[in-house]
Amino acid sequence: MTDTTHAHDTHDTHAHHAPAPPRTGIHRWTGPGWLRALWVTPLFGFACLGLVALIRSAANWHPLFASGPIVTIATVAFPIGLLIGIGAFDFWAYYVAGRPTYQDDHSGHGARRWQDYFRPNTDHKVIGMQYLATTMFFFLVGGLMALLFRAELAQPGDQYFNPQTFNVLISNHAALMIFTVVVPVFAGLGNFVIPLMIGSADMAFPRLNALSFWLLPIAGVIMVVGMVTPGGGPSAGWTCYAPLCSHQPMGQIFFNMGVQWAGASSILTALNFLVTIITMRAPGMTFWRMPLLVWANFATSSLVVLATPFIAGSQFFVLFDRVMHTNFFETVNGGYVVGYQHIFWFYSHPAVYIMLLPGFGIISEIISVMARKPIFGYRLMALSLLAILVLGFSVWAHHMFVAGMASWLRVPMMVTTLLIAVPTGIKIFSWLATLWDGKIHFNTPMLWAVGFISMFTIGGLSGIYLGSVPIDIHASDTYFIVAHIHYVLFGGSIFTVFAGIYYWYPKMTGRMYNEKLGQLHFWLTFISFNATFFPMHYIGLHGMPRRVADYTSNYADMNLFISIASFGLGISTIVFLYNMLWSWKNGPAAGANPWRAMTLEWQVSSPPPIFNFDEIPQVVGGPYEYGVPGARHAIFGAAKPEPVPTD
Amino acid sequence: MIGIGVVSFAIAAAIAVFIPWLPPPATREAGRIVFVYWFATWISLFVFAVVTAVLVYCLLKFRVKDDDLSDGPPVHGHTMLEIVWTTIPFILVSAISFVSAIVVAQNSHAGAHPLKIKVVGQQFAWQFTYPDGKTYTSMHLPVNTHVELSLTSKDVIHSFWVPEFNQKMDAVPGMISKIVITPDRIGNYDVICTELCGLGHSLMRSQAIVMTQADYDAWYKAGAPAAPAGGDPGLAVFNANNCGACHVFKAAGAVSKVGPSLDDLQAQADRAGQPLEDFARQSIVDPNGYLEPTYQAGLMPANYGTTIPSDQIDQLVQYLVKDAG
Repeated sequence: MTDTTHAHDTHDTHAHHAPAPPRTGIHRWTGPGWLRALWVTPLFGFACLGLVALIRSAANWHPLFASGPIVTIATVAFPIGLLIGIGAFDFWAYYVAGRPTYQDDHSGHGARRWQDYFRPNTDHKVIGMQYLATTMFFFLVGGLMALLFRAELAQPGDQYFNPQTFNVLISNHAALMIFTVVVPVFAGLGNFVIPLMIGSADMAFPRLNALSFWLLPIAGVIMVVGMVTPGGGPSAGWTCYAPLCSHQPMGQIFFNMGVQWAGASSILTALNFLVTIITMRAPGMTFWRMPLLVWANFATSSLVVLATPFIAGSQFFVLFDRVMHTNFFETVNGGYVVGYQHIFWFYSHPAVYIMLLPGFGIISEIISVMARKPIFGYRLMALSLLAILVLGFSVWAHHMFVAGMASWLRVPMMVTTLLIAVPTGIKIFSWLATLWDGKIHFNTPMLWAVGFISMFTIGGLSGIYLGSVPIDIHASDTYFIVAHIHYVLFGGSIFTVFAGIYYWYPKMTGRMYNEKLGQLHFWLTFISFNATFFPMHYIGLHGMPRRVADYTSNYADMNLFISIASFGLGISTIVFLYNMLWSWKNGPAAGANPWRAMTLEWQVSSPPPIFNFDEIPQVVGGPYEYGVPGARHAIFGAAKPEPVPTD
Repeated sequence: MIGIGVVSFAIAAAIAVFIPWLPPPATREAGRIVFVYWFATWISLFVFAVVTAVLVYCLLKFRVKDDDLSDGPPVHGHTMLEIVWTTIPFILVSAISFVSAIVVAQNSHAGAHPLKIKVVGQQFAWQFTYPDGKTYTSMHLPVNTHVELSLTSKDVIHSFWVPEFNQKMDAVPGMISKIVITPDRIGNYDVICTELCGLGHSLMRSQAIVMTQADYDAWYKAGAPAAPAGGDPGLAVFNANNCGACHVFKAAGAVSKVGPSLDDLQAQADRAGQPLEDFARQSIVDPNGYLEPTYQAGLMPANYGTTIPSDQIDQLVQYLVKDAG
């Protein structure tokens, strides 16, 4: 076998690397998969609920099926049953049971047919696509909710929804967009790209990776199901402040538990990224030769691992108050209401950077490649990510300037908050300096990248207003906040997601998207985005609070305008989806490296081979050496591929 | 490039200056906050103009055709530039921090003898208790006097905001939070709840009435809020507890559909199988005792039996029964 032969062909001929042979007869129902899930899920779920009822009857607690414990246990047991069914735990279960297992078992690896995308798959590229498809699905669901409540808000008064339904829609719009779209979509892009970028065959823990993905749809489905539970869905806002949310109908428990599943997914993936980035870089890939997206993911994953347990705690405490009658936030029994907000924001502020730093990484990749210049101030760009990571933990209480917390805390938290503008400014100015004197190719990914810089500048500046205590006192909890968060998370994060999807689309699918449709998508989004969210600054400062189903008639014209513009955002998404699906089938073949980029993911075929690299690359220089004569990021063929291990 | 910068600065500045972004301030605290707002605005306009100018200039000047395969100059950085764009933002945000911190300190200064008012939020109404112990549902304030509001809540978190005062503070159950306001403009202003507090949140509103010292003294001496001339005392109770935030009731001009319509009280009493008057009373003091179809338990605060004096409950029941009968 010569060096030019694809290494994965070798793998495929090996017993444990080949896809499992199709099962027949009863084995179709006992082997991992959806048929097994079909009976294991209800069996495991109802067995757990039966156990609860048994314990309650033995203890003489009535009613036997109280909604609190039942819903709590159900949202744990049924998902675990499902995961057992589809085989997410099979390898570990075999190992624990002492049955033969093979460390290098690749039978669940890679996608050879479309069904392989619908099972636990250990291939990081498949998992990346699973993440992207899932987050896109919830993006549509969450976006549809936004259109529904914008329809309600087009006029003052009650038109289509009562306040309960309205509050459920706004709460779940935000919760889905944050927990099942913006946070995990970067786990999806990262999953596809990071191992390729650092010259690794896969993530460090592929089976854990497969499991982490499947926790995400579970989280999303639990949240959506919670909306239609009897008595009404969760309607206390995505922030779910105690004590309002402690006394909501039982749909609120679905929310509390959905956050747990999403959080678990997020933590496990972040651990995987950290270990992968630290231990699995190709030879010669020092930290200072890593692409900035890898740096960004490193910083983000650290944030996720350190901060996410706090939101898990906040949701558990609320749940315990309700189900176990603890008193974390029940004032009549000595609970401390503001404590909820401290714990909640200790995660949820860093979460903003969890949702932004990977985007910063994506923009750095695209700007450097499309301007054909090295990224300006590479080391400071990496260090500013770490500065944001550290500072990000010291600013949470700026969400609480009017919450009644200790008033001395306000000024220190304001200072740290405003200081974050410094590393963020470094990033913006360095991108501008990278563009300067470049050879700019103004295509769809670049359009989104530049759109991001302009929108994020506005979002960052409105952040300065909100960081300043006196202005925040006036503006907090108004539509100004709604405007700010959308400039940061939509004009910021989502723009970078679109930039990244267009940029890596040829790598993921092997085909080129339609450039005209891509540009149409951008301009439709850019215009309707600004028309939707910019006027919100105005109505907010003028006196319209957020999260209101009804408002005084002096805001009617502005709200009608905003609602019409928001439907433009809906239409632009259709253009995007059409382009993605149509081009996947009909787009022209893209080739391995359509952007003439230096980073490693572009040095393999599109889509990449199942085990990424036929030969392990030897990294010899920085990732952005455009215009440097003779510069190479990596060379292939320097090292022989390692022999395929035999058992 | 400088031209683009000047143009974008001018456009952004015109948008900032010629559109009245803030409601006209009506307190001294608001005046200071507006100062910080403009301080931050001019800095933001400057930053915005610089970024826009460089961005637009680069895109116009350095754009190449698709088939241009050349690379840009291999510039890796410039230490001096990086120091400059680290230092200048640092100075700017320090300046904003400094000005903000001073204003925070000034705005929490209540003077030696402020007028102290207790503000209590509950789903979905505000109550204002004055030093003489009398409680009102709207807030009367003398102009040019320091007022210290002590806020708390009976149930969930609410937030007290008057846009023209620019001051805001959460009313949190189990604790007291304070803000200072010094009204300097006579007029009627809306009090708005800005913290999502349940289904009637968007209708949890009241009035802040700023009057001359003489008018205020007269109002203060007059005592309890008089029922509207010739009006029903039950109507006063209805309004004092903001029943209209959740219920339709034609006689009181209430139109909200959060809870069941009080115009249909008789039909509801029939469904519950109770005499009308008993039903009305029970629905106030024990709202979960009988639930209209499609309305959930816990929607209506269950503490009215303790927060409304019993004679007022009688008046309210009589009022509801009389008009609904």
